[in-house]
Parts: sequence; structure tokens; C-alpha cells
Amino acid sequence: MKGVFVPPRGALWLLRHLLPVTEREVFIGDLLEEGQIVRGRTGARAARRWFWHQSLVALLMLRRRRVISPTCQPAGDPRMLTFLGDLRHGLRLLRRAPAFTMLSVLTLALGIGATTAIFSVANPVLFEPLPYPHPERLVIVGERDADGTMTNLGFLTYRDFVRESRTIERGAAMGSWQVTLDDHGAPEVVAGQRVSASFFSVLGVHPAFGRDFNVDEDAPSTNSVVMLSHGLWQRRYGSDSSVVGHTISINGVPYVVAGVLPASYESVVAPGAEIWRVLGYDASLPYACRTCRHLRMIARMRPGVTPASAAIELSALSSRLVREYPKEYPAAGAIVQSLGDATTSTARPVLWAVLGASALVLLIATANVANLQLARAMRREEEFAIRAALGAGRARLTAQLLAEGLLLALAGGAAGLLVARLTLAILVARLPQTMPRLSAIGLDRTALLVGASITLLLGVAIGLVPAMRDGRGELGSTLRGGRRLTGGRRHLARAGLVVAEVALALMLLVGAGLLSRSLVRLMSVNTGFDANHLLTLQTQATGPKYADNNAVYLNHERVLAALRQLPGVRRAATVSQLPLGGNLDAYGVNAEDKPLANPELAPYADRYAVSPDYLGAMGIAVLRGRAFSEADNSDRAPLVVVVSAGLASRIWPGEDAIGKRVHIGGPNPPWRTVVGVVADVHQRALDASESSQFYVPERQWQFADNVVAVVVRTQSDPTALTRAARAAVQGVDPSQPVTAVATMEQVVATSTAQRRLALMLFGAFASLALVLAVAGIYGVLAGAVAERTREIGVRSALGATPGAILRMIMVQGMRLAVAGLAIGLVGALSLGRFLQSLLYGIDAADPLTLGGVALLLAGVALAACVLPAFRALGVDPITALRSD
Amino acid sequence: MLGEFEQLVLLAILRVEDDAYGVTIRHAIVEESRRDVSLTAVYKTLTRLEEKGFVIARVGEPTPERGGRRKRYYALSAPGKRALRQSIDVVRRMARGLGLGLEPS
Repeated sequence: MKGVFVPPRGALWLLRHLLPVTEREVFIGDLLEEGQIVRGRTGARAARRWFWHQSLVALLMLRRRRVISPTCQPAGDPRMLTFLGDLRHGLRLLRRAPAFTMLSVLTLALGIGATTAIFSVANPVLFEPLPYPHPERLVIVGERDADGTMTNLGFLTYRDFVRESRTIERGAAMGSWQVTLDDHGAPEVVAGQRVSASFFSVLGVHPAFGRDFNVDEDAPSTNSVVMLSHGLWQRRYGSDSSVVGHTISINGVPYVVAGVLPASYESVVAPGAEIWRVLGYDASLPYACRTCRHLRMIARMRPGVTPASAAIELSALSSRLVREYPKEYPAAGAIVQSLGDATTSTARPVLWAVLGASALVLLIATANVANLQLARAMRREEEFAIRAALGAGRARLTAQLLAEGLLLALAGGAAGLLVARLTLAILVARLPQTMPRLSAIGLDRTALLVGASITLLLGVAIGLVPAMRDGRGELGSTLRGGRRLTGGRRHLARAGLVVAEVALALMLLVGAGLLSRSLVRLMSVNTGFDANHLLTLQTQATGPKYADNNAVYLNHERVLAALRQLPGVRRAATVSQLPLGGNLDAYGVNAEDKPLANPELAPYADRYAVSPDYLGAMGIAVLRGRAFSEADNSDRAPLVVVVSAGLASRIWPGEDAIGKRVHIGGPNPPWRTVVGVVADVHQRALDASESSQFYVPERQWQFADNVVAVVVRTQSDPTALTRAARAAVQGVDPSQPVTAVATMEQVVATSTAQRRLALMLFGAFASLALVLAVAGIYGVLAGAVAERTREIGVRSALGATPGAILRMIMVQGMRLAVAGLAIGLVGALSLGRFLQSLLYGIDAADPLTLGGVALLLAGVALAACVLPAFRALGVDPITALRSD
Repeated sequence: MLGEFEQLVLLAILRVEDDAYGVTIRHAIVEESRRDVSLTAVYKTLTRLEEKGFVIARVGEPTPERGGRRKRYYALSAPGKRALRQSIDVVRRMARGLGLGLEPS
């Protein structure tokens, strides 16, 4: 490589100004000479980087030589040298006050660490674009339901949208696919997706190796082709690239592996998915109909198109489809959402709230440290006065304080990095698995940058607050030895900081209080079933040997029989989906006596295909009629259905549902007779207002559910049966995977995971805030008492009673607390609406919570006042008057 | 007794003889020890050795590839040579008879 090495100017400047004069010339000369050599070996960029590195090491390590000739002026930019001197001086001072330093650094570390950790959790969802090229052109498309909400779509609707739209460049349909991998080791259940062949090209993702899906594979007979995630490929196939192009066995059927996705691929649309199969639908398939709404659609819009304009076009298309097929759509219209918004919108409120909370903690921590610095500055009045008398200008003194503030903040930031790492490790383990963009969370460059910026800002703030002082007037009096006139403005600043701390702590405590009361209310919601002593697990009967429905039913019956054999098991049942288990499987229910012109407008209800004892095992109350029995399983039994009270009153308000007949799902469904009405359960979420369910014996449904949940009612602690239950299920068929083993109480708790997380963080932040605020109040009062020792002595010498002195100090402290509480209440009321979406059954301005928290904080503040007040009482008038 | 790095620096000065200044000394160490040594580390050690009186520095002529800056050449003083010899002798004696293949050949 030819060319001359050009050293980085910044580094050269620093070296010229900061290196000891004795070393400067030869050292820079040596570096330049070497730079030329390094450039020849590794190129210009690397050489510049090398030069910077060497320069920084030199600046940190090369000290002034001890022997300096008398004629030699200490050269270099005097301002810079002074600042370095200030830093060194600050370091010495901080080392001499270890308790103060430790306390400040710890406080700052907690604030900076917590904020950085929370930021790195929130960043992918709140601020980062999706990890695909041109993410702003990616959208999710759905049909508009009669009530205006977005629903999935059937294959034919998807096909028409893609074919006829001009705003969409490319579209892809997707549906969930749960699979059991059954070669290359023990059977393993993996979350997957069935996707159109165009799926990855819509996202703009290319396989790391192998090939993308082909369009001609997207047909019913050629769709046994899969794509693997990088993680799955490493874990299960030992990073063996020869698996590409060969077949693997899934659910007992061979599939060709087309390719492996890059490690950086993040499955944003279907979190947790590890395997993708070509959808392979065409119009001939029974489940490709317009009303078979089980597909989601993503699309890449043409450049320059907005989601709104795409929605207008697709809605017009939809109106045409509705005119053509009036009985297959509930309403006209399409909904187009940007993919980024659609995948992250549910997590946003929680993350904003938690990020806000951590910012409040950071503010409180800063206030506290600034307060400590102020107190210290007051004690150092004399030092400052002497420096000023010796000619130090205001700027010099400010620079000194600024250096100290920066040092504290830097130490706090470094320790905060550790806190952030720790917090993040704890947090990530507890984040709900449904949280979007989970895998993108980490202490990445952005998070570190944010942490560093916060640190610098805090350093400046902490440095500048104590630099506030009165005019020059005080200088003389301070030097004359009086500590009577310490800076009034600083007192005001300290008082202001304490007021702010109390106000901020109140806001956090109110948030924590509201969230915890919401959770209590939510957990006392009647779930409709008895979650106590109930073990649940999921199992799967798939593959060629279960191709026949009857084989699946027999498998379920054997599993239940094996479970009932276990000691401690009272009842056991299977169900196609578990309440609050995260599934969505709903069908329209049409009543014989209430015919609708458009059957698509029939109410939707969650479907539960169950073994006969399900209602009993779950403890779902039968309100009218009967539950199922074994007799309903016989071949000639009439078709029956049990409906929830909610569904019954929606279809037959004021009438008896028993004996009515309904159509459910399918192109030509049979009539089913309602034989029972049972209590409502919550399927989607505890806070979902309205839900409808129907239950059918599994042998009476159109198809067998290969994946079912098993519920086991136990005599005592259900977790004790986990191992035995798993063994019992696998004893029936060793190739049968058992997953999602949990007690029903855990399932319910998991459904509220996001709230629990928010509550946990708010609780932690609020406690921290409380401790810091109390420490702040105590510190200010203790300082005030120490300063007023003389005054208190005079007062008691002149006859002030102990009660009067006590009152005086207490009033001083409580005045600050009450001012803080008042401001905090206003703040809590105005910030409350940001929490509203996380609350349940409680108003953000709930007077009980606000009042309770204010009282608690007032009590704690009072306690913080008591100790300094009693210390004031102990002041001996004689010593006080003699002091100074 | 000299520190390990001090030994290396002194040996490097001997090795490059008349041309011993920062760059060449560092290169000699990097080549034989196979570890990346910063110029700063070399300078710090040279300064210390100079203070101990083990090396003598003299300022040389400016050269164009150094932007017209002068070099500082180093040479071992008599006490420096003595200290180096003693230090290496100690290592030799300590290694003797341990059967580690450390015997001087």
C-alpha cells in the first residue's frame, strides 16, 4: 500500500497539548514513524485507529517527568491543564470523603443503571424500526368486522386482495403451525408458521444458505418444504449444513429443507416461530373458503404508498367482494396497519409507563446527590472563601465543582453499567414470552450511548447546582469565621430539591398503588372455573398413525384412563383449548329460530371440543340442563351442544335456550341441540368484558383436534403430580410430546404477566424512591439543625420550651413534605392517564389510592423529621453559645 | 533485581545497538516476545531506567518521516549492564537443575 500516513488531527492536537513537554517531541516523532509502518501493513483506516489508540494510552499513562529544567515553562493549553488539575483535585477530595462518595455513587448507579436497563428493554419496541429493509412499507392487512375490529381473513379473500391491489407490491398469508420434530433425537414440539412462498421476499429476508421457497411449491401437492431458523438448525441439526436439500421428519411426514435463515433473522410477526412451511393452499381446499378466517396477511406496499391509502383501495375491493358474496362477509372494509405498530402496540403502554417510572427514579437520584453536594458545598464555604480571596474567580470555583460532579457521575455511570447488566438479566428472565421483539433486547450500542449521555448530563447538573451562591457579600463574613450567614440561595435550592423528591416519590407510589389494586381486582374476577388444584398440560397426537380421527379419540381416552390411575388424581379431561391459554378458536353460532339474512353476522363463540367430564373437572357450574356424559360419545347419540350463559342471552334474550337447535361452522353444518347452559369463562383475558363459549363432545365435532390440553383435578398440590402425569401420558405413546405443563393458577397468572411485570417494576422503583426521598428529607433537616445549633441554644437560653423547639424543627420539615405532596398529587393526577390502559376496575384518580399514598408518605416524612428534632432538643445552650 | 519488562527493554537496546530509540526498541521486543507492546509502556520503562541511571539518553537529529522531529537514542550505562547481568544470572540459577529444559546450552 502506497501513500503517506496522515495522523488524525484530533489525536495530534491532544498529544501536542497534553503530553509532558519533555516527552512530546520524541514521542510524537516515534508515533508518526510507526504510523507510516502500520499504514503500509494494514491500511490507512487501521493506521489512524491505531494512532488514536496509542495516543489515548499515552495521554492516560505518561505522566510528567519529575526532572523539569527550570527554564521550561509547563506548556499546553492552560485551560485544559487546569481542568485536568481540577479532576485530580476532585478525585482527592472524593477519596477523602468515602462515605459521601459511596452514597452518591451508589445512588447514581441505581438511577442510571435502572434507566439504562429499562431503556434497552423498551428501545426495540418504542424507538427502533423493524429489522427488515424499508420497514415503513410493511403492513398487516385484515378484514373489518361488523364492530369495526380487525379480523383474520380466508384464503380466497387474501388471493383477491393480492391479485387486484395496485398499492400492494407483494403479499403473503400466514397461519400458525405447531409441529413435532421426530427424527434427529427426542420428539420436540416447535412453534412454526405456514406461509405463502412469497413470505420471506415480502419481508426482504434471504436465507443464510439454501434457497427461498419457490412459487410453484405453493400448491397442495408440493408444499412439503420447510425453512429452518438459525437457532433450530444449530440446536437440533448440530449446525450441519448438509441438512439443506434433504428431508427431515415432521409429525411423521418427510419434508425437504429448503434453507436456513440468517442468525440475525427476527420473527417479529410470529414471536417464537422456528420453522416455516409453504402454505400450499388453492381454491379447491375446503378450508380455503372466504369464511375460513384463520390466515393473517402481511404485505409490502409499493414505494410512496401509505397504510391509509392502501386501506382505502382494499376497502373498495372488499366492498366489491361483499356485493359478489353477500353471505360470506359480516361487513365491508379492510384494515391496514403498519407492521411495526401492529406488532408492538400492545406492549407500548406498559413500556412507556415503566420507562417513565425509571426516569422519575433517575430524577430523584439526581436530586438526592445534588442535595448531598449542596450540603458539602455549604460545609466548604470557608475553603471557597479562601480560594476566592486568593483570586479565584467565580468561573474557577464553578469549574472545580463541575469537575467533582462529573467525577461522581462517571463513577456512578460505571457502576450503573453493572446495575444495568444485572437488572437486565433479571428482567429478561421475567419478561412475558408474548412480548414483541424479545430477542432484540440487550445492552447494545444505543443503550450504552443513552446511559453515557445520561451520565454526562447528570454530572453537569450535580456540578452546577452547588455552584449557585449568593453575591460576593458573604465572602468577608465567611472569612471572619461566622457560619451564621451560609448561603440563603443554597438553602432554598436544598428545600426545592427535597420538595421535588417528595413529589416524584408520590407519583411513583401512586402508580404502584394503582397497579397493585388493579391486579388485586383482576385476580378476584370470577374466572368461571375453579383454578385451585388443577394441573394442565398440552399433548399432541400427530403423524400417520393418527391420520384417522378415531385413533386420536382413542389416544385421548387412553391418556385420560392412565391419568385417572394415578394416586391423587380425582378427575381428568381433554379440551381443544384452555381458557386464558392464549388460543383463539371461535365460530359463528346460528340459531334455527333466529335466522339471519347474512349468516356471517351470527355471534362468535369460543369452541371447546371436550371429553365428557371436562365441565366437571374444570368446576364450570351447570346453570340449566345437563353436562355431557359418556352416552353422548356413542355413535348413534344425537348431536348436542352446551352453551355459556352469555351466548344464550345474546341469541335468546329472555328465553330458555334448552332444546333450541343451532348451526356451528362448516359449509353444511348439522343441527345441534342445546342441552345445557353453563357459567361464562374468560377465554382471552381476565379483563375482556364479554365472551361467549360453546362446548361439544369431541367425537361429535367435524374433525379431531390433534393438539389438546389435558386438565387434571388433583386432591392436593398439583405440582407434586407433574412428573407422574407426564410419564402417564408418554406411557400411552412414547412419541407423544408433553408440553406446557403448568397449574391452572399459573396459566391464569401468565395471562396477566404484562401487568405483573409493570407492577413489579413500579413497586421496585417506588420503594427506591421512597427510601431516597426519606434520606433527602432527613439530610436536609439534620443539616438545618446542625446549622441552627447556636440559634437553638439562644432560644432555649431565652426560655423557649422543648415543645416549642420540637415544633419549630418539625414544622420546618413538614412544610417541605406537604409542599412536595401537593405538587406530587397534581403531577399524579395529570400523569395518571398514561397509566389508564394498564388499570382495571379503578380510576387513575382513585381517591383512596391517592389519599392513602399521600398519608403514607406524610407519615414517613414525619418519621424523618423526628430524629433531627430530638437532636435539636439535646442542644446544650452553654456549649451552643460558646461554639464558633 | 530488574522487572521482567525492564529486562526486555534493556536487552532490546543492546540488540539494536546504535539505532536504539522508541520505535526500534519496541519492534525488537514485539518481534521476540510476540506480544503487542504499546509505545507508552516502552517510554514509561525507559524513563524509569533513566532515573535509575541504567540507561543514558541522547537527543539525535531530526528526520523527515517524523515530521522534522528529533529522536532520543538510548544506550546502556555501566550500572545498567551490571544490573542486567545480575538479573539474568538470578533467573539462570533459579532454573538450574529443575529439568524443565531451562538450562543454558
